[in-house]
Amino acid sequence: MTTSTPQAASRQTTGAPAKASVWRSIWNHRTDYAYVLPALFAMLVVIGYPVYYTLDLSLFKTPASLQLKDKVFIGLENYSTILSSTSFWKVTLQTLIWTAFSTLIAFLLGLGAALALNREFIGRGILRGLLLVPWVVSAVAASYVWKWLYHSDFGVIGALAVQFGLSDKPINFIDNLQTGLPSLIVVNVWKEFSFAMIMLMAGLQTVPEQLLRAAQVDGASVWQRFWHVTFPHLKGVSMVTILLLTVQNFNSFIIPWIMTGGGPAGATDIWITQVYQLAFGRQRWGAAAAYSVILFVIMMSLGYFYVRSLTSGDRARAVE
Amino acid sequence: MSSVSMTSRRKPIDWWRMSGRVFLVLLLIFTILPMAWMVITSLKTGFAAMQYPPQWWPTEPTLDNYIRLLDPSQNIGRDFLRYFLNSIFVSVVTTVLAVVIAVPAAYAFSRFHFPGRTFMFFAVLLRNMFPAVIFLVPLFILMRWLGLVNTHGSLILTYLTFGLPLAIWLLKGFYDNIPIQLEQAARIDGATRFQAFFLIVMPLSSPGIIATSIYSFIGAWNEYIYAYTFLNKNDTMTLPVGIQRFFAENATDWPGLMAATFMMSIPVVVLFLVLQKYFVRALTEGAVKH
Repeated sequence: MTTSTPQAASRQTTGAPAKASVWRSIWNHRTDYAYVLPALFAMLVVIGYPVYYTLDLSLFKTPASLQLKDKVFIGLENYSTILSSTSFWKVTLQTLIWTAFSTLIAFLLGLGAALALNREFIGRGILRGLLLVPWVVSAVAASYVWKWLYHSDFGVIGALAVQFGLSDKPINFIDNLQTGLPSLIVVNVWKEFSFAMIMLMAGLQTVPEQLLRAAQVDGASVWQRFWHVTFPHLKGVSMVTILLLTVQNFNSFIIPWIMTGGGPAGATDIWITQVYQLAFGRQRWGAAAAYSVILFVIMMSLGYFYVRSLTSGDRARAVE
Repeated sequence: MSSVSMTSRRKPIDWWRMSGRVFLVLLLIFTILPMAWMVITSLKTGFAAMQYPPQWWPTEPTLDNYIRLLDPSQNIGRDFLRYFLNSIFVSVVTTVLAVVIAVPAAYAFSRFHFPGRTFMFFAVLLRNMFPAVIFLVPLFILMRWLGLVNTHGSLILTYLTFGLPLAIWLLKGFYDNIPIQLEQAARIDGATRFQAFFLIVMPLSSPGIIATSIYSFIGAWNEYIYAYTFLNKNDTMTLPVGIQRFFAENATDWPGLMAATFMMSIPVVVLFLVLQKYFVRALTEGAVKH
């Protein structure tokens, strides 16, 4: 009983903490920290050190000897070089296209599937399981399979297009300036639409049955019921889902890397493939580090919303 | 007249239901066809795969590609089986460590109200905001300094960095849903905090622990970038990197590659389909309010 008292006290006083009571409450809770210490320590080593190291490295350039210990200090030059290069803005535009279309299409397909699966019918569980398989298999496997489907000579998609009279010869999908990026977006959507589906299926379970029935009795159409009853209940989940997809797509690497390596002529290059090439292809570690820092700043502004939407549930609970 | 108004009232409902079904069928085709083509190709000989128009079904289906992968007396089989075991080892160790470290942390984030709790929870979640590439160079240098390059230790340590935040977040969702009164009752009956945790909370959160384990296993099994960067020796390579080295480096052996991707997908897909219920619940528990 005695240990639970300070907890109750701190819960009451969180509204107006005086300086002295902060230290006191840290002291009172000293044993609590032991629980999170292993996790925090692991995080410190694997986040703290890399972040510090990346910031530091971004101020240097690769020496002629290619030895990291001889790196040359050049201040902020890496940053100005990147931000003033046309390739950075081209890749940024491609990343935005990649992220926006992947996220939007995956979300809409997921929403459609969740709504269509939101009633009992025979085989529903199996169907859900099958639709989720692309999300579970590795992106490496998915990339190879789709690369084979898209193959310029023996690809099954090109052959089907010929079969149905859509084209008179096999199509070169990915090694093509126009169709390269859209073809990769299809693969990405295939891989992640069921993530949106699962999140939204769970969200649909929070829609009160009575409200839907009441709306039906009042003569609301299917669309009106969706828009005025179902959709408002899905807002929170949709926010989280879209944010998670967005972050994930900004950070995509495997699909373009394995399928095209960023080519042809950089037409399918996105941020992360570009950074990887800078660091491990061209050995320009400083530039890669500066690139990472720029991406990090962009991502952090997104992260602010991400964390806020993830913890909004917490705050609601705390208010209660 | 009444029959007309009846049909006009019922018709839109049928239309929505119909379009829902059509949509599901199309989506299923979109999902299944690539995987079906992977399996069909894996049953072909190299010659049969390279034909135009393609053989929709192999004229002479063969299991040779699989036999080659699983035959330890041949080079390809020996390497493939080694990659397979490496992947299993790395994934299992990562999973066990992630759960052991995440359980107390998630419990604390859920139950205790120590100062800095929210800040630390943010800090933990923050990891998933960083692109993996940011960590590549520094972690590579850290691993070299620790002498872990080309070892499984480097991968396990790295996988924990993204497995842990997720595990903590998922488990916290489960602990939040276990009524604190249960523990309080046990404490009143004389149990220590530790006993209350082990005897009351742990059993109740076992679905969460199962789900978190599957999640972290699949994550580790499928990981590519770090494995690609940290490992360059045949003995330590995991499957995603290994199969690339094998089949895609020079002239691609498509049927062999498809057989390998199929084999690589089996463990995670089976694990997932068997334990789907927990997996789905864990993913949504944290994000969807009850």
